[in-house]
Amino acid sequence: MRSFRRHRTLWYGLMAVLPLVLGACSVFLGRYPVSVRDIVELAAAAWTGQGMDPTHFSVIVHVRLPRIILGALVGGSLAVSGAAFQGLFRNPLVSSGMLGVSSGAGFGAALALILFDRYMYVYPLSFGFGLLAVLLCFFIGRLTASTQAITLVLGGVIVGSIFSALISLLKYLADPYDELPAIVFWLMGSLSRAEYDHIFTAGIPMMAGSLGLVIVRWRLNVLAMGDREAHSLGLNVNANRIFIIVCATLATAGAVCVSGVIGWVGLVVPHMGRMIIGNDNKALIPVAFFMGAAFLILVDDISRLISTSEMPLGILTSLLGGPFFIYLLRRTRGREW
Amino acid sequence: MAADPDQTLIEMKNAAFSFGRIPVFRQVNLKIARGEVFCLLGPNGCGKTTLIDCMLGIHKLDTGRLCLMGQSRPRHSPKETARVMAYVPQKHDRHFSFSVLDLLLLGRTPYIAFYASPGKPDIEKAKKILELFGLSHLMHRDYTRLSGGETQLVMIMRALIQETPVIVMDEPTSHLDFRHELIVLETLARLIRERRITLVMATHFPNHAFYFENAGIPVNVAFMGNQSVKPSGTPSRALTQENLARFYHIETLVMTHTLPGKGPIKQIIPIKTLDRKTKGTP
Repeated sequence: MRSFRRHRTLWYGLMAVLPLVLGACSVFLGRYPVSVRDIVELAAAAWTGQGMDPTHFSVIVHVRLPRIILGALVGGSLAVSGAAFQGLFRNPLVSSGMLGVSSGAGFGAALALILFDRYMYVYPLSFGFGLLAVLLCFFIGRLTASTQAITLVLGGVIVGSIFSALISLLKYLADPYDELPAIVFWLMGSLSRAEYDHIFTAGIPMMAGSLGLVIVRWRLNVLAMGDREAHSLGLNVNANRIFIIVCATLATAGAVCVSGVIGWVGLVVPHMGRMIIGNDNKALIPVAFFMGAAFLILVDDISRLISTSEMPLGILTSLLGGPFFIYLLRRTRGREW
Repeated sequence: MAADPDQTLIEMKNAAFSFGRIPVFRQVNLKIARGEVFCLLGPNGCGKTTLIDCMLGIHKLDTGRLCLMGQSRPRHSPKETARVMAYVPQKHDRHFSFSVLDLLLLGRTPYIAFYASPGKPDIEKAKKILELFGLSHLMHRDYTRLSGGETQLVMIMRALIQETPVIVMDEPTSHLDFRHELIVLETLARLIRERRITLVMATHFPNHAFYFENAGIPVNVAFMGNQSVKPSGTPSRALTQENLARFYHIETLVMTHTLPGKGPIKQIIPIKTLDRKTKGTP
């Protein structure tokens, strides 16, 4: 681990280019073969304004590229929100879904799939319910007339379990041949629905939230000292906490509404970052974004490659992330974080 | 060396605070001047920490006023407070392993804009303080693995990097062994002398007040109990056998010993507890 620390700048740079490299490689991966020549042709076609093979064009520009962009955005957003929540709640077991965002968004999506059988309504409803879940957490916190982190955490547990129950209720009520599978697949997460206009609309909250967290990242170090100390160090604890929660919620809700519930990224990727770069949020927050992006691009590649009917991402993130996490735990012997 | 009575840094006027319906203190009046040690004594649960929290602005006073550097506001902002007082906590919960340097840099919070992080000058400041304490070798160490004594010194360093005229300490030497207790006290005495720092400390050990007095530093003692705070003057005046019996219900012996070349040294030796019923409270 010391070796990681000594070359911190090197690792930082490496992490930053990792999603770019992986993203570039991913263009070539998938059932439909794409070669370097195709890319050159595409670039030439774009340059000269001439047409090219429409299938190639479509595969690269409308299938592969949006998935890669969406994967990077979703992975980065989930990881960065998870890292921020871990610091904010001073609890390493917290993830981006902490305040019920994922369950709320899942419920919104399921509701949309039952009420209207078009995917169009899934995004706004899922995003809206994700935000609503966090608002409810605040409301529960206010009931106890306390703004302490622990009441928010409890609120998150309560709201999360209520929405999970509501999701089960919707599954129970859903048409088992048509709606139920749609809900189940949505909940397992996928990037296959990636289209540019969705990426653009969902990308706004994801980018805004992640950028907000990057801007205030050093303050997470101060908040990690606990409320009393953070206050005595000159931080307006409540204002900063609310800002961070709003940013993380926007980023997570934006991610979940386009990709479904992809677990594990918001919990484990931040820890991978902690093991490599350390706990200083000044470095960790950007690194978590890059690693989350790289991780999800990689997982999506694997999902495309291992079977003809893409395996849902939620399954793969856990199956791949778990063993890798064990490897990191062993290498670092649980130290340094 | 003397305290500067003209320069009152912290003043509480007619202050009262309660948790809901449970009053903690009322009608507290106190003044803390530059260069002095203000020693708050009181039994467990009397509200010393709450009083300190009110000074730090963590709790808002129910009534009364708090003046910092002559400025009186209904509520001082955390940033404003953190430029007057640096706080060394009694107990610090360690959640994430930061390096000692990262921890020290947190002391720069009141001077850093919300979007920024500490820069080179801040790192230089941290390095200088580490050198001053002779602890440069700790710079890149994981602070969660430091010993209790080292942690306390790091916390004091963090307070110094905050560059405030006042340092507030809650039980500065709890959990420390004999030697480290003395190291912390010596460090504090040196800082008060060399940097004219004002120290506000809540302590369970009346001997700490004598330690600073023996070192030639102006000390004011205040007793806290029965929801009030009683400023009682210098340790020699306040910490008499009678007062200790009344206040702590213990029999003590206040000893004066003259060390050759060092002047008189005063210490309290506890003898035995007294029955609470026979004696009143001050």
